[in-house]
Amino acid sequence: MLATGPAFSRGLEEFELQLRRTPPVTTPFVEYRFSHLLKKPLRSSGTLEYRADGALIRNVDSPYRELTEVSGDQVRITRGSKSPRTLSLQRAPQLRVLLGSFRALLEGHLVPLQQDFDVALAEDAARWTLTLKPRDAQLAKHLASIEVFGSGDRPGCLRAMEPDGDGALTLMDKASMDSASTRTAPAAAAASPTREQLERLCRGSARHAEPTNK
Amino acid sequence: MSRRGWLLLAAWIALLALGVMWVQGHLRISGDLRLFMPAPKTEGQRLLVQNIGESPASRLLLLAIEGDATSRLAAMSSQLAAGLGARAEFGFVANGGQAPPAIPDSLLPYRYLITDSFDARPLDAARLGSELEDRAADMASPAAGFLEEWLPRDPTLEILHLASRWQPRAEPHHIDDVWFSADGKRALLLVETHAAAFDPDGQGAALAVIQEEFARARRDSQAKLTVSGTGYFSSVIRDRTQTEATWIGIADTLGMILLVWFAYRRPIFPVLGALPLATGALAGLALVSALFDSVHGITLAFGFTLIGVAQDYPMHLFSHLEPHESPLSTARRVWPPLATGVASTSIAYLAFLVSGVIGLAQVACLTITGLLGAGLTTRYLLPYVVPNRSFDPAGSAVLARLNRRIEALPRPWLLFALIPLAAAAIFFLRPEGFWQNNLSRLTPVPAALLRTDMELRREMATPDLRYLLVASGDSEDAVLANLEGLDAELTRATPGVIGSFEHAAQYLPSAALQRKRQAALPDAASLQAMLAHAAAQSPFEDGLFEPFVRDVERAKTLPPLTRADLRDTPLALRLGSELFARDGRWYALISLYDVHDPAAVSALANAHPGVVTFLDLKAASEQLVAAQRAHIILCLEIATVLLCIVIALALRKVSRVLRVLAPMILTTLVILAVLRACDVSLNLFHLVSLVLAAGLGLDYALFFEHASPEPGEQQRTLHALLVCSATTLWVFALLALSTVPILQAIGVTVSLGVVSNFFLALLLTRERAR
Repeated sequence: MLATGPAFSRGLEEFELQLRRTPPVTTPFVEYRFSHLLKKPLRSSGTLEYRADGALIRNVDSPYRELTEVSGDQVRITRGSKSPRTLSLQRAPQLRVLLGSFRALLEGHLVPLQQDFDVALAEDAARWTLTLKPRDAQLAKHLASIEVFGSGDRPGCLRAMEPDGDGALTLMDKASMDSASTRTAPAAAAASPTREQLERLCRGSARHAEPTNK
Repeated sequence: MSRRGWLLLAAWIALLALGVMWVQGHLRISGDLRLFMPAPKTEGQRLLVQNIGESPASRLLLLAIEGDATSRLAAMSSQLAAGLGARAEFGFVANGGQAPPAIPDSLLPYRYLITDSFDARPLDAARLGSELEDRAADMASPAAGFLEEWLPRDPTLEILHLASRWQPRAEPHHIDDVWFSADGKRALLLVETHAAAFDPDGQGAALAVIQEEFARARRDSQAKLTVSGTGYFSSVIRDRTQTEATWIGIADTLGMILLVWFAYRRPIFPVLGALPLATGALAGLALVSALFDSVHGITLAFGFTLIGVAQDYPMHLFSHLEPHESPLSTARRVWPPLATGVASTSIAYLAFLVSGVIGLAQVACLTITGLLGAGLTTRYLLPYVVPNRSFDPAGSAVLARLNRRIEALPRPWLLFALIPLAAAAIFFLRPEGFWQNNLSRLTPVPAALLRTDMELRREMATPDLRYLLVASGDSEDAVLANLEGLDAELTRATPGVIGSFEHAAQYLPSAALQRKRQAALPDAASLQAMLAHAAAQSPFEDGLFEPFVRDVERAKTLPPLTRADLRDTPLALRLGSELFARDGRWYALISLYDVHDPAAVSALANAHPGVVTFLDLKAASEQLVAAQRAHIILCLEIATVLLCIVIALALRKVSRVLRVLAPMILTTLVILAVLRACDVSLNLFHLVSLVLAAGLGLDYALFFEHASPEPGEQQRTLHALLVCSATTLWVFALLALSTVPILQAIGVTVSLGVVSNFFLALLLTRERAR
């Protein structure tokens, strides 16, 4: 298990050097969304891309096609074959902070995150957990925490929790995505993995990056 | 002077002091330019007169805070916005931090009557299915956490749709949730004053509040605040005019006192000389404030300019005082020309009284009362307080020599032909720009301020100041329906002809449209059935959307939303300035953003006569100024005729009448020709100054004409007129040096008039000495 060591077992500055990546960065993802509004968790998959010009692209290809481009304060959403919608994040400051945190994680720029979040880092050998808690009370109403589980220089899974217990798990590491798929594959479509299974997968995602550490 | 004289003087001054107190208590000065506008004739003029300085666009003040770190500027912006929002002087205050106007919670079901979402595609099974499909996709997006709360009640996201529709079309950049300039150096705010743009007092008060709140928001920072906007300009111009007028006034007074003291060799004369004018002016002010609700600042400026003639009245008495004659008999002697002057000018001003323009009627009232008051006190009161022995100009060797030299001069009869010919030639050579129609040219805004204004307007995307569409109707609801009727065409005009538009029906649809939308909404049972089907196909829980069904059900039975329902909501604030009733008719303003093709907007309006009017505030105000001037010129023509009749009746001989009128008429031509040669376009203030100059010329001529050819008497008259013209020239030459165009116009015109009138009257009117 992860050692619950002191926050900043070493400096965030030092740690982010380990994560730092030069854009463009592309990561495939599988996301499960849990909500009390939904009959069952909603699964979507696609790629997340952080481009050299600073734009963040979220490309969903299943179960429908959707392309979201975040560039500065402009968000452009193209869903299926419909004409794109653009909206400005200026009127949605909380969403902007949330998207900004994704971008920072992909790029490995963690220090600026401290402006909007309380950032805690726990490390156990190569595995690490980064916990972000929003500072802004308005954002805290919609977002309790973001936990990033990773290993080495790669974030493996992102767990965003809402205060009411709803939340989303974003698996970004190939092994856990495969694992999630293989577990669902033999069963019927209805027998998707339980939230518990997925959470365990998410927390342990770091291990898949290092098979020796079973 | 006798003991009785001193007592009388003390009583007179005490009475004046009382008068000043009464006037201070009763005089209400207004800045409403409409007092000076003739009755509007066209619909455009009527709307202009109603809206001048009152349209929401013209009441906007643009604020910028700069000179500190971004985060501190943002904090100051937020605090300033909060502070100003709590003050009564302002309508809305925006700095980017405010949520867009939203429907209050209690009225939320009304969103289905306000929204245009279901006009094209009704809320049926197909629509519900596709909406839920979209919401499922939203649930898989990062925004899900923010939408969840509202989805059960608002699965079609109408609240978001209306919020985005009500947002400003183009917003400045946001930094730390408040507006910033593109370079990130200036925090930007937009405030709407309750005071009209042309109400310098109201604007001054609002500006003072802004400074006060800024001082509070700034604390110890070095940041500085820049303010711009039409209202700010009117306040700046007023302050500048007042400052210069005050300085010039002080210099004028000191100069006058010294001149009169020097002319009559005793310090009591400057005091006595001021009494008739002061009495007349007070009487005029008292009458005007008793007769009218409020007096325009321009009335006072014009009135006091015209009353200026009366400053000369006591000088005639003083210069004709003789050691062996009682002041009373001197007064009797100088009375005929003085009375002719007072009577003819007063009767001439009667023409203004019936002009139909309230401001001009006030000017006439003030001036006539002032002249009569000054004239009558000079004749019936001043002689009792004037010391009976004085310096006699008849005994002055200098004046005698001067008089002889003047007598030796040839009489330039040729001027009767030369001046009109020269004037005609100049008018012919420079026919363009005779009149100044541009209201803003009258009070030009310093170029640096205009540059700042343009920059800020570009950053903040404010509605067009010049072009406006105004819809009208018999009732509030009819106007709203008319706005809706124009929507399709206006939308087609976007973005080619206009950038965008905004009007009241976007917030409050007409009752008819609300009923139509109401009728198109499904009833509860069918909505439930459709939902059950759609939800079953979706990942959403069954029965999740019950709150939505309840809202639609309520919307189906609600009475249409009215303005009264919106009282005390941010929406009412928007409606207040965009939808209003005047004289029993309802009007709605359509604010335009980025007008690219005014002609096309005008054509759009012309296609709907009686429904909507295109307002080019600049062109309409220019027409109005031209119409107003035509009106004033007509008044002046009537005044001239009246004046000639009075002079003819008083003097009875054609040769005398011609000699008296000649300097006045020729001087008017001289002034016009000189101004034209210098390429000065005439405005209202030039006209009023021309009238004053003519009045002065008439008085000069009357006195020169009246003087007997006996050298002693001629010297006294010459002395009187030298004092009169020197004091007047001193006053107006100082005004001519002013940097304020209005003061300068008055100063230049009257100064020219004094010099020309004096010499023409001296050389053409005076009889040769025997």
